[in-house]
Amino acid sequence: MERRAFLKHSSLLAGGLLVNQRTFAADAGPLKVAIIGCGDRGKGIMYVMNDLPALFKVTAICDVLDFRLKAAQNISKAGPVKTYTDYRRVLDDKDVDAVIISVPLNMHYPIASAVIKSGRHLYLEKTMTYNASQAMDLVKLMAGRSKQVVQVGHQYRYSPLYYKVKEYINKGYLGKVTQVDCRWDRNGSWRRAVPEPGLERQINWRMYKEYSGGLVAELLSHQMDFINWAFDTHPTQFQAAGGIDLYKDGRETYDNVQVVVRYGDEGMVGNFGATCGNARDGYLFKIKGTKGTVSLLTDQGMFYAEKDLLKERGLVDGVTGATKITWDKEGGVPILPERTKDGTWYALKDFYEKVATNSLPDSNIYTGAKTAICVHLANQALYNSQPTYWKQEYSNIKA
Amino acid sequence: MTLTSISVITQRLIQATGVCLLAVVLFAFSNGNQLKRYELSGFAQGTTYQVIYYAPDSLVSLKQTDSLLRKLDLSVSLYEPSSLINQFNRSADGLVVDEHFRVLITKSMQIYKDTEGLVDPTVKPLVDAWGFGVVKPSQEPSAAQITALLQNVGMKHIKLNSNYLYKDRPGVQLDLNGLAQGYSVDLLAGLLERHHISNYLIELGGELRIKGSKPGGEPFAIGIEGVNDDAASAEPMRKVIKPGNGAVTTSGNYRKHHQSGGKEISHIIDPLTGYPVQNELISVTVYAKDAITADGYDNGLLAMGLNRALGFLAGRKDIGAYMVYRDRNGAVRDTVTPAFKGYQK
Repeated sequence: MERRAFLKHSSLLAGGLLVNQRTFAADAGPLKVAIIGCGDRGKGIMYVMNDLPALFKVTAICDVLDFRLKAAQNISKAGPVKTYTDYRRVLDDKDVDAVIISVPLNMHYPIASAVIKSGRHLYLEKTMTYNASQAMDLVKLMAGRSKQVVQVGHQYRYSPLYYKVKEYINKGYLGKVTQVDCRWDRNGSWRRAVPEPGLERQINWRMYKEYSGGLVAELLSHQMDFINWAFDTHPTQFQAAGGIDLYKDGRETYDNVQVVVRYGDEGMVGNFGATCGNARDGYLFKIKGTKGTVSLLTDQGMFYAEKDLLKERGLVDGVTGATKITWDKEGGVPILPERTKDGTWYALKDFYEKVATNSLPDSNIYTGAKTAICVHLANQALYNSQPTYWKQEYSNIKA
Repeated sequence: MTLTSISVITQRLIQATGVCLLAVVLFAFSNGNQLKRYELSGFAQGTTYQVIYYAPDSLVSLKQTDSLLRKLDLSVSLYEPSSLINQFNRSADGLVVDEHFRVLITKSMQIYKDTEGLVDPTVKPLVDAWGFGVVKPSQEPSAAQITALLQNVGMKHIKLNSNYLYKDRPGVQLDLNGLAQGYSVDLLAGLLERHHISNYLIELGGELRIKGSKPGGEPFAIGIEGVNDDAASAEPMRKVIKPGNGAVTTSGNYRKHHQSGGKEISHIIDPLTGYPVQNELISVTVYAKDAITADGYDNGLLAMGLNRALGFLAGRKDIGAYMVYRDRNGAVRDTVTPAFKGYQK
């Protein structure tokens, strides 16, 4: 990407409390970034930004836990950065053009609202908000703020692999898709180590309903979001089952879940499951159509043609290529010749590009809201043991 | 295969093509036995290989194919520290080579001449310097380094006298990977032939050799790997060909390359300039009688660029190519030369 500069819009208010809607001009310079939330995800993003020094310069970090700030400070390649324990102070910092929010889910909405109101560009981790009403409110808040960029951190679909799969779907290579199978399994408690007992809820926030949407919000939302985006659709009906079946350790969010959704407009069924008690499948993502199946990992994918399609195109007994690719009796071919990089690398590069060109990201506030609503409806079905339904008002969320 | 399925296939063939019943039955019952499908898979040459053959019984085993390829590895694999080729590369003036080495170097000399130096196994020091060898350097070579390395490049520096392969400078090193995979495929074909197997398909590292057909006379079909780095070419398989007897190999710029200073570097190094090849060709798939020939020429054709490659192949009946390239507007296009068998538009 060409180097582009980042200029503050001239509409700084006297007193400098608000920096309204920033724009980006064609000249050189990295985007000055504050990271709010320096847990695993915040630090992970800092590592990726270290690889993109022409695009990003981390100027500030913020976390409520001191040891996290220390750890994050050590990651910064460009020397010591300013540290904050209160996100509101970050927004007073004039040396911040864009904010990354990677905090527990329940804090997404209040912090994101404050960042948007401050005029900064925002990269907001997934899931966009804790519930549907917050998602709708955030969309409303962005209305008319066309010069601000808000990208939602569904980073996997930023890799060329996932774009290619979207293209397969849109060009009809899979035929009519009827089923989507998704899993994100592990064999482990999903807990982080807690240095002192008093920090349990802050560090293992994913275990508690007050802060987290559990496995559905933290893991399965990525696959739900991809299907919504790739098919430009949304589920109309949600059913779910689950429980705390393994780790009866005081957690509230389920460690074993299965969500079945109906895509009424597309005529598809989606199966989204996660367990903490088996790691065999790990990440599994299959999209099944009348002409073929796409089977995806995060960084590589295969296309399996259905038998009829193979006949139509001739059964293949072997494949010639520049180096070895699969020779698959079932007709499997890799979707891309090589593994892709981590999705965050592509997502952050595109975030910079969208800020530079003042355009709408592919994972934007509207798609982010749609997915947050899906997660909310799925969790309602899961924890209340009754089906939930898409509401008409949600369909009004459009760019 | 069961008698029922043979008769079903026969009926279908008669319905579909009017092929004479006798030919099919002869195929299925040659030697008085039914032909069964056997498949072997293994690892060699730093890649995987597969052998499919049709025979009355399991005449060739994985142990045999592995042992055959292992011998070749000990001769010419750069990944095998004690291999003959590594000994040659470390030697001051050469050494006695074995039969495999001799065949490969003789073929290399012939192709070197034929391609006016574009296919040159002495290019190894440059391949290493550009980061495509066994050991990867930390940075791109400087112009001065390339000039120095070029001093050791060129087939004039080596000479085969009976079984002794001489080099005139200690820094001269060989890389026979360009045709060793093709040769491996030929060795496997030879093994099958010695067991009187006449319907097979062998693949190693994307290089193939075919003989005969599947039961029912159905030809073997080969997919040419798609070039999927382009949004316009999302088809998972670019082309399916049925070349009949012969070998098919592919060399491409789309898979083995790395980024240097934000620029894509091709793994094909021009032995004459010392720099990676940059032209419009994305991949070249070559058809020839045997795989050593097809594999031996594919890199050279890729290095030639489209027009020179088309000129080179214009009068030739022994080698044909299917070439995928990027046109001036960046669109991916393909073309095929007359001797490329089994191609259908």
